[in-house]
Parts: sequence; C-alpha cells; structure tokens
Amino acid sequence: MASPRAPLPGLALAAAFLVLAALPLLLGASNYLLGLLISALILAGVALAWALLGNLGGMVSFGHAAFFGVGGYASALLAGKLGLPVLLTVPLGGLLAALASLAMLPALRLSGPYFALAILAYAQIFRILATEASSLTGGAAGLQRYPGLPTVFGLDLASRPGAYALLVALVALGCLAYAAIRRSALGLALRAIAESEDATRVVGVNSVLLKAWMLALSAFITGLFGALNAHIIGFLEPDYAFAGSWSVLPIIASVFGGYRTVLGPVGGAVVIYLFDQVVAKGLIAVGHQILLGLLLVAMVLAAPNGLLGLLERKGGARAGA
Amino acid sequence: MRDLILQALFSGLLIGGVYALVALGLALSFGAMRIINLAHGELVLIAAYAAYVVEARGGVSPYWAIPLALAIVSVVGAVLFLMIDRIREHRELNSLILTYGVGIVLTNAVLLAFASDVRTTTAPALQDAVTLGPVYAMAGEIVAFGLSLVLMVALWWWLKRSWYGRAVRAVSSNRAAATLMGINPLRTELVAFLVAGALASFAGVALYTMSVVQPALGHALTVKAFIVTVLAGVGSIPGVFLAALLLGVTEALTVTLASSALQELAGMVLFLLVLFLLPSGLFGARARRG
Amino acid sequence: MLRRALVAAAVTLGLAAGCPARAQEARPGTEQQIREVVIGAHMPLTGSLARSGQAFDEGMRVAVRLFNETAQGLRIKLQVIDDESAPAKAVSAVEKLVSDGAVAVIGGYGSNIVGPASDAANKLATTYITAGAVSDELTARGLKTFFRINNNAGYQRGMAGLIAELKPASVSILASTKEAPALLAKGLARDIGAAGIKVTVHEFDPAISDFKPLINKVKLQDRSEILLMSAYENDYVGIIRAARVLKPPVKLVVGAWSLATPKMYTEFPDLMNNVVGTSFLPFPVAVKDEEGRRFAEAYRQAYGKDIEYLSTLSFVETTILAEAIAKAAEAGTLKSGGLPETLRATDRRTLLGPVKFDATGDNPLFSLAMGQHRSGQIVLVSPPAAATGPISYPALPW
Repeated sequence: MASPRAPLPGLALAAAFLVLAALPLLLGASNYLLGLLISALILAGVALAWALLGNLGGMVSFGHAAFFGVGGYASALLAGKLGLPVLLTVPLGGLLAALASLAMLPALRLSGPYFALAILAYAQIFRILATEASSLTGGAAGLQRYPGLPTVFGLDLASRPGAYALLVALVALGCLAYAAIRRSALGLALRAIAESEDATRVVGVNSVLLKAWMLALSAFITGLFGALNAHIIGFLEPDYAFAGSWSVLPIIASVFGGYRTVLGPVGGAVVIYLFDQVVAKGLIAVGHQILLGLLLVAMVLAAPNGLLGLLERKGGARAGA
Repeated sequence: MRDLILQALFSGLLIGGVYALVALGLALSFGAMRIINLAHGELVLIAAYAAYVVEARGGVSPYWAIPLALAIVSVVGAVLFLMIDRIREHRELNSLILTYGVGIVLTNAVLLAFASDVRTTTAPALQDAVTLGPVYAMAGEIVAFGLSLVLMVALWWWLKRSWYGRAVRAVSSNRAAATLMGINPLRTELVAFLVAGALASFAGVALYTMSVVQPALGHALTVKAFIVTVLAGVGSIPGVFLAALLLGVTEALTVTLASSALQELAGMVLFLLVLFLLPSGLFGARARRG
Repeated sequence: MLRRALVAAAVTLGLAAGCPARAQEARPGTEQQIREVVIGAHMPLTGSLARSGQAFDEGMRVAVRLFNETAQGLRIKLQVIDDESAPAKAVSAVEKLVSDGAVAVIGGYGSNIVGPASDAANKLATTYITAGAVSDELTARGLKTFFRINNNAGYQRGMAGLIAELKPASVSILASTKEAPALLAKGLARDIGAAGIKVTVHEFDPAISDFKPLINKVKLQDRSEILLMSAYENDYVGIIRAARVLKPPVKLVVGAWSLATPKMYTEFPDLMNNVVGTSFLPFPVAVKDEEGRRFAEAYRQAYGKDIEYLSTLSFVETTILAEAIAKAAEAGTLKSGGLPETLRATDRRTLLGPVKFDATGDNPLFSLAMGQHRSGQIVLVSPPAAATGPISYPALPW
C-alpha cells in the first residue's frame, strides 16, 4: 500500500461504470469495436480475479488458465450434453472452477514463485486431461455444437451489443464485490495476511482457510468469464481453453493498470488489449506484439505502480506545485 | 522390454543434459538476484539462431557459432540487467513483467528476422547414429551432453573457488553483509547475469545441433528450466543437473511405459509431488513454504 | 536515458512501419476507371502456426497479382490481418475486414479459428472460403456462405489409398495431439483397420522433442511395415531423425501435408529421401497447364523458392474466389449477395485437381496424390491415375 486513500463509494463506482458502458452503445460503435471491447472485458474479468487473489490472498498465480478452461468446458458440456439453460450453466462453470481449486489446496502452503508455478503446473495438467478425456470433451478436435448466449427480456445476449452489456454488468459486479470484501473486516484480516502471514497467525486468524476461500472466489470469477467466453466464441479446444495467454495477459493487464487498486486491472486490460489490437497491429502487421513488449518494458521502468499509480503521481505533483 | 527401458533411460539422460544446460543459467540468475528471468528461454533461442546463421549462411560447423552467440547474448543480457537494475518498487513482480516483455520483443524480433520455418542442423556428422551396446543416440546429442557436464563442473568450480563466484554466493545469501565486506553487489550481480547468459549461449548452440528450433520455442524453454530449478531447490548446481536428468528420464519412461501423449503430464505431476512433499526441493538447502 | 532511448526506438519502429502503408494507400486513386474490390484474409502470421500462415499469405499474394494482370476492369486488393491463432482475434479480424469493405474473406488455419470466424462472416452475410480447416463439424453447420477446398476425407483417401495398394501386414501411426493431425489419425486408423491391416496409433504431445523412445516402441513392439506420420514439419524432422538413428524394420515412411515438398528436401536432404507424403505436383514441376506454370514462375520470382503445398492451396482458393467475384461483378450481383451462388457454381480443374462445392460448401472431389522424395525429385506414386512413376518400396531415408 503506497498511501491510505478514501475508498471509492460503491455508488460512484457503479455510476462511473454505467456511464462508460453506455458510451460505445450510445455512440453506435461498430460490431468490430464492440467485439474488441468484449474480448478486453473478458480479459478484464480474469485480471480482476487475479488481482483479487494477489491483494487479498497474497498469492501470485501463473496459472489462471486452469480456472478459465474448467469454467468454459464445464458450461459448454452442461449446456451441450445435458441441455441445461446457458444462464444456469455459466455460473455452474464458475462453481466447478471453484471446485477445481480444491485440488490446489496443498499449494496454499507454498510461498511466492513456488505457488505461482504450482498453479501453472495445474493448468498444464488440466489441459492434458481435457485432451485425453476425448469421450467427454471431444479431445483435440474440440467442442463445437453447443448453445450460445440466449435472449433475455428481449435483449439478445448473443448479439454484440447484448454480450457487451452483459460483460460490463458482470465486470462491474465483480469490482463491487471485490471492493466490498476489501473494505470489510474480512478484507482487513486478508490484507494483513498478505503483508505478513506469521504475524496474523499469532493473533489467531486462520490464514489457510481464508486463503482457500479467496482462491475459490478468484477461481469462481475466472471460471465465470471462461464460461461466457466459451459461449461467445462457440468453439473450445484444450489448447485454446487452457492457453497460457489466459494466465499471462491478466497479469500484464493488472500490473499495467495497477494491481493494488480495484479498477487498475480492468483499465489495464482494456488499454493493453486495444493498444495491441488497434494501435500496434495498425503499425506492424506481422510481429506487432513487439510493440506490446516494448510498452511493458517502458511501463515497468517509467511507472512501476501501473497506470493508476502514474496518474496519481502526476495529480499529486500538480497539487503540490 | 529391457531394451525399451534402457533406451528410454539413455534418451532421457541425454535430453536431460540439455534441460540442465538451459536451467543452469536460469538457476544462477535466480539464485544470485532473486529474479526469475522470463526471457532466459529467448536468450537460448537467439544463440540457437546464431548457430543456424553460421551453419546455413557461413557453411561451417554450428559449433563455430559459440563466440558469436556469446557476444550477442552478452550484449542483450547486459541491457536486460541494466533495465532490471532500474526497478525500484515491487522488484519481484515488476522484474517478471519486464523480462516477460523483453521475451516478447526477442521472440518477435527472431520471427521478423528468420520467419517461422523450423531450423535444425544439417551436418551429417551430427545426425549420425552412435551405438553404445543396446542403446542408440545421435552424435549431436552426445556432444551436447558432454558440453553440459563440463559446463556444470566449471560453474560449480567457479562458484566455489573463484573470487567472483564466492562474491555471487555472498551477495545471494546476504546483500547488506556482502556490501560491508567490500563486495560491489551491482557488479557481482552483473557478472552472475552474464555468466547465466554465457550458459544460455552454449545451450542454444547445443539445442540447434540436436533438436528442432523455431521462434515460438523460447517461452517453453523458460518454463521447463524453471521446473528444473524448482525440482532441484535453490543453491545446488549439481542438484540442478541431477533434477534435469530426472525430468528427462521421467518423460522418456512415460513415453515407453504409458503413452507419449502423457509425457508433459508426467513432468508436471513429478514437479507438484516434489513441491508438496519435499519443501526444499530434491537437493536444496532452503525452505520454500510461507 | 534508457527510457528516452526506448521511446525513440518505439517511435522509429512505428514510423518505419507506418510510412510504406500510407504510401500504398495513395496509389489506387489514380486509376479511376478500374473498379477496385477488396478481399479480406485473416492468417496466423505470428505464434506457433506462423509457418503455415506465412506460406498461405505468399500464395494469396501471388494469386492476386496474377489475377490482376489479366483481369479486365476489375482490380483486387488484398487486406490481410494477423489472427495470432486466437479465435476472438479472428472474429474481430472478420468484422474489421467486412466493415472496411471486403466482399469476401479468406480464412486462416485451424478449425477452432475458422469455425468462429466463418460464423461471424455468415452473420455479416459475407462469403468465407478456407483451405486450412478440415474438421467435419464445420460443414455440418450448413452455412450458406462457407466454402472450403480441402477436407479431412481427402487426405484420408490419399493416404489410405496408398496403404491399400501396398498391402502391408501392419502399420504404426504417430499422431500429434493437435486438432487436424489427431482427426486424420483417427480416420486413417479406421480406414486401414477396416482393410484388415493391423494398426497401432501412438499419440504424442506436441511439446515432445525426442522421438527415440517412441520409435523404439515401433521398432521393438509394433514391428510394423509402414510408419505413418500425422503431424507437422518439426515433428516430421524429429521422427525421421530418431528413426534414422534407431533403424526400425519398417519398409516405408509416409506422412501427411507439407512433407513431400521440394523445400523439405532442400532443407533436410539427409532425412527426406524415399519419404512419401500427400502431394499434387511432381517435382521438378512438370506442370502441364499454363496456370501452374505461371504460378510457379511468379512465385519463384517473388520469393526465390519453389511453390510448396500450403502456398498452392491458398493460390487455388484465392484464384477461385477472385474468378467468382469477377463473374458476380459482371452479372451485377456482387453487392446484392450473389457471390455465394456464383462461387457454388464453380466447376473447374485446378492445380489440386477438380474443385466443386456441394450444398454445405465442402469440396467432395478433394483428393490428393501421394508423392515420394527421390534424390531431390518428387515422383507421384499413387493413385495409379495420377502416378508419374512406380513407387520405390521398400525404400527408406537411411
């Protein structure tokens, strides 16, 4: 924590989100732009879940793709094979991802990079299991024919504007939940654990149990967005559902935006994704990721606290002068 | 069956030798600076492409690429080090992002320069079969294994006996105390980083002479190297070597006894088991639990 | 200092990349009487499939150039976007291409990419053609705007046909667990097994780097007569190298796509001799028709190498699409959604054999010949109708 700040009131946060959310729809953005924003918001959801685990649980994960893939496969299979309604299977996908996090309980005792890599190993193991369990998952050939998002109250969630609105709402909900936990007494205990686990153990906080809950919550959110992504894209295969980029990009987005804040990961995801796809791709058709790499390097050197940290510092300097 | 298992053990040892070569550099920079260099695999990749250039364009043995690879990788490594050194806040996490970014830049630079065709040595002498009783290998693999063994011993000796090697160990165990003893920590870390780069150079050339190289390979190498480092535990050079051999043998035995589709799975399960059951790695000295 | 250098580097790169693009945009305006039509394409130009995407890209560019040289009153412009092998990015690419005015989209590589991307194109009522997605699921959707010139069945027919001609007692299939190779291996195992031949399938993780333990199983356990590979270039090199060291008692090494190409022989001369793979042209290119000769010539001129399998696939799909666009433009139906019907009426011989589209957009006539590397030449050895010479059998690279 750099400096104690007054927490953003939930209402203001929600209002800011709604205004931002309505903007592209009101301005009549093209399907192309909405499509990019949808991808960016899915990334934002995972980034939020990743940052939650980091801030409240003190755990850095390199393997959130594990939860993303489990959520996607669970929801697609429940909807496609059992015929359950998609609006039910998406949260179930999240729940199953949370359930999968139980397999990682032994890893909670590990510290720092060791925990991070243990989760990465889980992501790889899940990917291989999805490839091998071909009678259930379709193996390497993947899953294709399962339902997309439905129409609810006249709003076609499968259309670009519908999916966009849904994702904005869910990302906002995620932010509110995150902010609420952070402010609660539980959040205080959790942040204390993140700072120093030994000290909190002395004052009688059951740190392992709390960490397990945070891991499950983070997995739930990630699985939820994985499930949504599966229904929006309409095709799943192990290499895609458990791709390393679902682990890495959220970290980059969070750190880029400022992972210690609630809104940093979300802003980071949107900025990074749009920069890479619109600006960098426009400049260099092949190998445009090189610009993303340079941006990351420049960012770490120039603004180690992320975009929000940078804005704050600029604001602070101006106020001081 | 006996011949199958013998061949699996032998092949596993040979591939483990290269894993060790890649992992030694990563382990050194991790041990000395507490920095996970996510661009380490890309340093190996650059060296492998140097070998390709020397062989395909220069028409000589790829081993002649070692000086070229050392030069290029040292320059890239030094720049990388200077950038890492500028990080002031949240060093562990930010250095991850920084080195990951550099990795992306290097991978795409290789892609732009060499396109994405698969590359490997075409020298017949390196591809020829070597028979040792019931087991077989490619000549290039034997050379690479020998190289790995020699470099492991050299590194071990360097850390143990040379002034700089001892300085690296001193800085790694207590930076403040080492500074008081008159060691320049910055210069010491730079030396460790450059030695890690040199190991990556040898690894890249060795990889090119025995396996297939393409631009997307760098990241996979980094992950494999880190798994080896964690298996070994921090602070043991022969440990890294043995852990790499163990990983190679486990993978090869999985192919022989079960299915080749499960090779990666076996490696990961071994990794998790060691992580959970042996808190300080197979050969390490320090605990890794929170 | 360092920060400034980085910024300077980024700006320089940006400018260097931006300038030629702007220069190109300025040109078309000068020839006003010629109508310009944009074909969009999304290809994996970076990432693990970049090799395939770049070969496709080259074939498309040559096809467009040759088409523009002879076309009357119509000029085709190609706009290619890197889809990075990511479905969401391929969908975005389709949406961008269509909003930029592309009349049709050429699809990338991999069924998981082509599936969502062609769905998006269908929603935008835009014709979509591909040569890089072989899954049967794609044509089972019954999209009216979806077309493809190759499919799993065609590769399967070519390879299983050769095996049926050779009548070995047993076959070992080494298959990557990636989507297309896994599908092909499954189909092959079924076909070959049905012919009463013993089949053993060994699936391998694409991350594998040493094939010796696997080849040793073929050598000591399967003792098969033919080694079949359903994989990609890097796997072929690894497998044949391992086989060259272990020398299993097989009589022939057979593979799928991108193997029986002059390029593979030039790059790996010690590994390729006598190896058989799916092919469509003998080498040296004894192209009988004018089209193939022009393509080979233009390709060599542009890229300094001989045509290869993937670039030919994309050359054919692009040419067929361009011709359909020209026809639809002439009939005045290009803007009113007449392109799919015009494309469906395609019936022509191509470098890959006859091409025709059925109601699902599939090309039921797709079937490949099998070519054998012979000391730098490629001889078509199967099926008998396409053969330019007898097969060397038993014959091995070592």
